[in-house]
Amino acid sequence: MEKKYGVYICKGCDIAETVKIEGLEEVATKEKQIPICKSHNALCSPEGLDLIKGDISGEGVNIVVVAACSPRAKHREFKFDGCIVERINLREFVAWSQEPNTEDTQALADDYMRIGIIKAQNTDLPEPFFLEELDKTVLVIGGGVSGMSSALGAAEAGYNVLLVEKQAELGGWAARMHKQLPQSYPFEAIEENSVQSTIDKVTSNSNIKVYMSSEIEKIAGVPGMYDVSIKTNGGSEQAKAGAVVMAAGWRPYDANKLPHLGYGANPNVITNVQMEEIAKSGKITRPSDGKEAKRVAFIQCAGSRDPEHLPYCSSYCCLTSLKQAAYVREKNPDAMAYILYKDVRTPGQYELFYKSMQDDPGVMLTKGVVTGVSEGPDGDLNVEVSDTFLGEKIIIEADMVVLATGMVPNSRIDAEDLAKWKVKFDEIAVAKGGKPDPNAPLEPHKIPNILNLEYKQGPELPVLDEAYGFNDSNYICFQYETSRTGIYAAGSIRQPMHMLGSIEDGLGASLKAIQCMEATEKGFAVHPRAYDQTYPEVNLQKCTSCKRCTEECPFSAIEEDDKGTPFHKMSRCRRCGTCLGSCPERVINFKDFSIKMMSNMFKGMDIPDEGLRLIGLVCENDAYPALDMAALNRSKWSNAIRFIPVRCLGNLNLAWIADALSVGVDGMILIGCKFGENYQCHFVKGSELANERLGKLQETLGRLQLEPERVELVQLSINDYDKLPQILADYVEKLDEMEPNPFKEF
Amino acid sequence: MAEAIVVKPDLDFVKGVIAAGGSSLKKCYQCATCTVVCKVTPDKNPFPRKEMVWAQWGLKEKFQGNPDIWLCHQCSDCTAYCPRGANPAEVLGAIRKQTIKQYSAPAALVDIVNNKAMMPLVLLAPAVLLAVLLSIAGTFGIPDGEVIFSKFASTLFLQIVFTPALIFGAVVGVLGVKNFWGDMKTANNVSSGDLKGSIIKTAKEVAGHEKFKTCDVSADRYTSHLLVFYGFVAAAIATAIGVLYIDVLHMDSPFSLGYGTPVKIFGNIGAIGIIVGIGMMMSNRFKKAEQLGGVGSYFDWLLIAIIGIVGLSGFLAQLLRIAGVAPIAYPMYFIHLVFVFSLFIYLPFSKLAHMFYRGAAMCFNKYSGREAVADADNSIVVTGPEDASEEDTKPDPEEPTVPADEVGSGEEKQ
Repeated sequence: MEKKYGVYICKGCDIAETVKIEGLEEVATKEKQIPICKSHNALCSPEGLDLIKGDISGEGVNIVVVAACSPRAKHREFKFDGCIVERINLREFVAWSQEPNTEDTQALADDYMRIGIIKAQNTDLPEPFFLEELDKTVLVIGGGVSGMSSALGAAEAGYNVLLVEKQAELGGWAARMHKQLPQSYPFEAIEENSVQSTIDKVTSNSNIKVYMSSEIEKIAGVPGMYDVSIKTNGGSEQAKAGAVVMAAGWRPYDANKLPHLGYGANPNVITNVQMEEIAKSGKITRPSDGKEAKRVAFIQCAGSRDPEHLPYCSSYCCLTSLKQAAYVREKNPDAMAYILYKDVRTPGQYELFYKSMQDDPGVMLTKGVVTGVSEGPDGDLNVEVSDTFLGEKIIIEADMVVLATGMVPNSRIDAEDLAKWKVKFDEIAVAKGGKPDPNAPLEPHKIPNILNLEYKQGPELPVLDEAYGFNDSNYICFQYETSRTGIYAAGSIRQPMHMLGSIEDGLGASLKAIQCMEATEKGFAVHPRAYDQTYPEVNLQKCTSCKRCTEECPFSAIEEDDKGTPFHKMSRCRRCGTCLGSCPERVINFKDFSIKMMSNMFKGMDIPDEGLRLIGLVCENDAYPALDMAALNRSKWSNAIRFIPVRCLGNLNLAWIADALSVGVDGMILIGCKFGENYQCHFVKGSELANERLGKLQETLGRLQLEPERVELVQLSINDYDKLPQILADYVEKLDEMEPNPFKEF
Repeated sequence: MAEAIVVKPDLDFVKGVIAAGGSSLKKCYQCATCTVVCKVTPDKNPFPRKEMVWAQWGLKEKFQGNPDIWLCHQCSDCTAYCPRGANPAEVLGAIRKQTIKQYSAPAALVDIVNNKAMMPLVLLAPAVLLAVLLSIAGTFGIPDGEVIFSKFASTLFLQIVFTPALIFGAVVGVLGVKNFWGDMKTANNVSSGDLKGSIIKTAKEVAGHEKFKTCDVSADRYTSHLLVFYGFVAAAIATAIGVLYIDVLHMDSPFSLGYGTPVKIFGNIGAIGIIVGIGMMMSNRFKKAEQLGGVGSYFDWLLIAIIGIVGLSGFLAQLLRIAGVAPIAYPMYFIHLVFVFSLFIYLPFSKLAHMFYRGAAMCFNKYSGREAVADADNSIVVTGPEDASEEDTKPDPEEPTVPADEVGSGEEKQ
């Protein structure tokens, strides 16, 4: 397209009081030769917007450069269809954070004008990427409560669903329950099990195709076009799907590992799963002699919140024991249930259920540590408890003991299995002529289990160490999201949860699946860069097949062909640009974001012989809004730094540092997310990757006779915005003490 | 740690406490705010948190010889601060009622007296009995002429009927206290102490209503209880003077000595004290229903009613006598006699039993050394060196508005 530029400068929000608008106009019209350059007292007002719209329709302007507030503000106002819009942040980065009307402040604003215009000049309108063929069927793996809820959600929204269940019946663990927890206000009394009616809804829905006693053999392809092989009826069936909901559920923690609580030694010590079966069959009787159990002790956190077993809380066990206490009481009004807990944890509205059960005179609760379960006379059990509210070490006599065991996600590979797999993988390595590496940890997602993806980075979803094998993305704002685009985890495979939570979770995940398919159909990215129509474009002619991009892509969106040449599976891509940063040949670029664009921006800055000039590359998701917030609080920072947003710090290409330093920039500060799993970055680990790349930079800088300290990486969380001014001041002070960049003279 | 003890939860005991007015018992989640705000509890092994969990678990043996439930004066500060509406004050009242049964024999009478459904029987039985006895004496009816109550019930009759009634109540109460005392000694491993000093100290405390002064929520109960208490003392003095006139000076009623005599002065002061005091108690209960978690149980109201009617009927009978309205004066006097009789025979079975058991518990608390005997200021509590290892020690009561003192982490329920 023929580019026609228009530059619009806003004078409002202190901008005109801080810098000379004529100076900025001069940069646009004289230096950059932009014919249309206008200013307005309030550009976001209807009159201001009309000014721009008039030029678009009258003058044919299609590249609109708005020099006003942060691009994070007024984005609805400054949106013009068919135009490239570039925003220059004069308000937060100049007017609100700098001394007004000084020469240096004017120079800073002038530079932001130059950088913005250069960026616009290096941007092209995106052409969306479309899949040749698209299928909008949702594949749901797991026919338990979460999976059925997900299937019904998608089916009722008009989508076809394939529901694959491993067992011969639908319903999962819920189908084995006697009764269920209250599902609605007032959350007081247990209810009849409703899972059968859900099963009926699923089986009678014409949009849902159910595969019973079936498993996923293979999933190949991309969101919008998955080729799924289902092992069913002794054979293999092929199907197409557009997105996947993984609701493969959980298994109870193995009570055989709890001999200290009497399991195995005495048949009257049972698990909460066995308790459901007993209650379902009629009276509460105990296994040893069929005698009615009138005194039932529930031991909470049996193997949970225990570093030796499950270190986490499964969040359903307290509720289940309260529910089972209700069975005991319901079936015999003279029976008593003793609940021995670490802490009663009844999430959300279930506090009401806890209160209601607590009110029952026959439900006795105390905090305590169970120190042993021993056999008394006639098959009775003595439960020894210390640190109780009763004030002393006590022994409770019970007819039966129920262990409230926790949830293990089916995605978790137990340590023993992991060891077996390691042996197997080593054998494969040897067979291929390699050597087994005894120290290499085997990542669980490399072991085929549920999804069996044909992905370069492994068949399963990577799990966070902190999530104990649960497929929890832990992205605070994106709870069903996994690091495989188009695949969403729901229910207890994602997080331990109760039935009501699973129903909600399944529904939520199905909506994410639908969103993904729709976005793919329209050719734009899914979360978090929803509506982004750009995508990585690779100049394959220059690619050396070094495979750094395939290794570093957080989403396994880059595969390799037979010759080992990488190529993007575009609908798996989230447009983070980690590949752009990883590529030593600089062949991966976006329409609105490229290696060359950044270099041109650095070169386009005015670098005087005297005085410090620094560049700040900031993550657009956290560091950039943190700067905005600091400015909003009128924090001041050095006028020597020019901030430029990046999609992720993983975009950092070492070429940029070389380019910047070679034009005389004195240093570069990189502000990105914190390292590690606990800080949940949208793009997984861009900041860490950037740091890794910086390690390789040392040598280059040494060769150029430059101090490596000129480049600094800062880990910042968004709520640390108040620390930013000090961080920046310290950095500037450090650079001030160094000699100016010797390349300034060239 | 000591040897583990086997606990035997008793569902019936739990149900009994609930039925006796402790319906909120199960709501307690053991945050111990109650113990922190309580101003009358000793520092060592404070109450009422532990009593709440024992009652929830139906551990009735824990209440065998337990002085703490009686140290509670039910001022309801704990209830006002309870975050869960568990109303410890009311629950402890209900537990007290349960333990009266253990010591006041026959226990069945405790159940009958305090059972709302039995109210007609409880009120009518003494009336019928007195009517029968008066008929046997031949004076049941409305006599002619000037209103003179001894025409209706002779002093001899009163002595023959009411003295045994009072003795019955007192003996049952004293026997109960004897057992209670023994149980307290056993349960608390106390073999000896300064009995005389403890009794004197307790008597002083009771006379001065010291404990009542410490309450916040029911601070005005100090005045009302004091009025009723000394109202009874005055009435007792009047009765004693009457006995003196009859048995020592051999005068017969009516004592034609006029209204300025001690017997009339004490009698009227007593009556007014009781009426005003009871009136205050009633109005306070309604005024503070929200803070107190209700207006009280049947157990409370029965005693309020009996005492109130005793005072009011006695005073009205006097006025009616002076007015000479015989057809109402005699029935009013009959009502007065019925309720005085009820008060005597129900003494160890109704809430009035607290005068025995609370007195004994307060005394035992000093006897056992948990509270100093010799100290002039009874708010100072001596804790011996051996108590240092006690884990169940009352937290600093300086900041009663912080309920989370004994709660663990804020995010977890206990």
